[in-house]
Amino acid sequence: MVKVIAQDIEMRFGERTLFTVERLQLAQGQTIHLQGDNGSGKTTLMKLLAGLVSPTKGKVSVQGFAPLPWWRSNPLLGKAVYLHQHPYLFDGSVEYNLNYPHPFCEMSKQQLEQRTQDAIHKADLVHLTKQAASSLSGGERQRLAIARAWIMQPKLLMLDEPTSNMDTYSQELVLSMVKDLQQIGTGMLVSSHQSCVLTSLCDQSWQIADQGIRSSTPSKEGINSDPITLQEPRYVIAN
Amino acid sequence: MNDGWLALIQQAFGLLFSLDPDVWAIVSVSFSVSFAALAITLLPSMILGFMLAFGQFPGRWFITNMIQTLQSIPTVVIGLLVYLMLTRMGPLGDLRWLFTQKGMILGQMLICAPVLVSMSQAAFTSVDRRAWETSRTLGASWLRAIWTLCRELKVPLLLAIVAGFSRILTEVGCSMMVGGNIAGVTRNIPTAIALETSKGDFAQAIALGLVLLILSLILNFTLGTLRGKAEPRSH
Repeated sequence: MVKVIAQDIEMRFGERTLFTVERLQLAQGQTIHLQGDNGSGKTTLMKLLAGLVSPTKGKVSVQGFAPLPWWRSNPLLGKAVYLHQHPYLFDGSVEYNLNYPHPFCEMSKQQLEQRTQDAIHKADLVHLTKQAASSLSGGERQRLAIARAWIMQPKLLMLDEPTSNMDTYSQELVLSMVKDLQQIGTGMLVSSHQSCVLTSLCDQSWQIADQGIRSSTPSKEGINSDPITLQEPRYVIAN
Repeated sequence: MNDGWLALIQQAFGLLFSLDPDVWAIVSVSFSVSFAALAITLLPSMILGFMLAFGQFPGRWFITNMIQTLQSIPTVVIGLLVYLMLTRMGPLGDLRWLFTQKGMILGQMLICAPVLVSMSQAAFTSVDRRAWETSRTLGASWLRAIWTLCRELKVPLLLAIVAGFSRILTEVGCSMMVGGNIAGVTRNIPTAIALETSKGDFAQAIALGLVLLILSLILNFTLGTLRGKAEPRSH
């Protein structure tokens, strides 16, 4: 099973400490709702676990990833995919964007073509494939970005405020794609201020507050949480 | 416009379209030297521009300012510097490149590089950071991600290339000093225009000027078309 483990992490921007974590683990099969106020560090944490940024202190290690060739040092890239709140689409058509990750996927050409066609239908982009990606609406952009990730079948997926620009129809399409990924065991971290269609899929919650991260699991009585102790306000075991 | 002017312009067009060997030899020297200088400088300059835009290393601020300073140094001063390096007593005197096309290429490289580095740095600095992150998170190697950025920035990077090429194709000072304006060897368009004008042979000077003008029109209209096609990005 693939997992990414952050240990003794401290994230700072200049003098400002965003958060410190003793141990945090995101594994395949988990679906976690990440919560926190604006500026608390949700995006930074997701980028950290996706291998896009390095911690100020501490170590992010991985388990279960295939060995890499000598010229590639970061096993997370291409396997743990991070989706921006406002997704970036490359200059070109919708089709170009969907085909972009093909060379980096460990699938046959036929499989990739089949998955791309499936993704186009799942995200309802059939009538838009030849259209410039820059001309899409906010919801269509999100659908395209998630479809692009869906093709890749990532081991881990970080969704940063994924439903912020979407109408109900787009949310349904995205929910269907995310459920698919969940079924094949993709571990997911979903950041969202409010509850949304995707947070209902989550089996765990991480809350960034007071420069620490609190883990909790939903229960019948409400949320069972492991609160931050007063003695160690900045270090919390999240899993 | 009097008859004398008209006659000169007719003569100039005549020289161009009759494929006058002297005129086209000059054009050929100009283009081969400038293309060579651009080709050698392009990739290292773009890489340096990328490193200055994205890298955090000691001396970055100093290098950026030095390159911007080099951009504004008159070409004749660069010509003087290259001349002193290539003269018999200079550090590169053994190469015997003075008054050769190789010497001119070296001079033009020094003129072209700061323009390319500076403009590509500005282009890479302006790029949306999400482009890099998206490319990397989707699995692109750093080399492939740089290529993606270049594709995203094709218009500003092409502008940088055109600006660098225009600067070296039209410079007189360095070519005159380092090349020596030797007919058929180092005489290029700008040095020939200066010479023919001083001799009073305006027809050839106008013919060569027309070549530069036509090239400039082609390059700028091509860029204008590209810029027109590039749609504003919504985020």
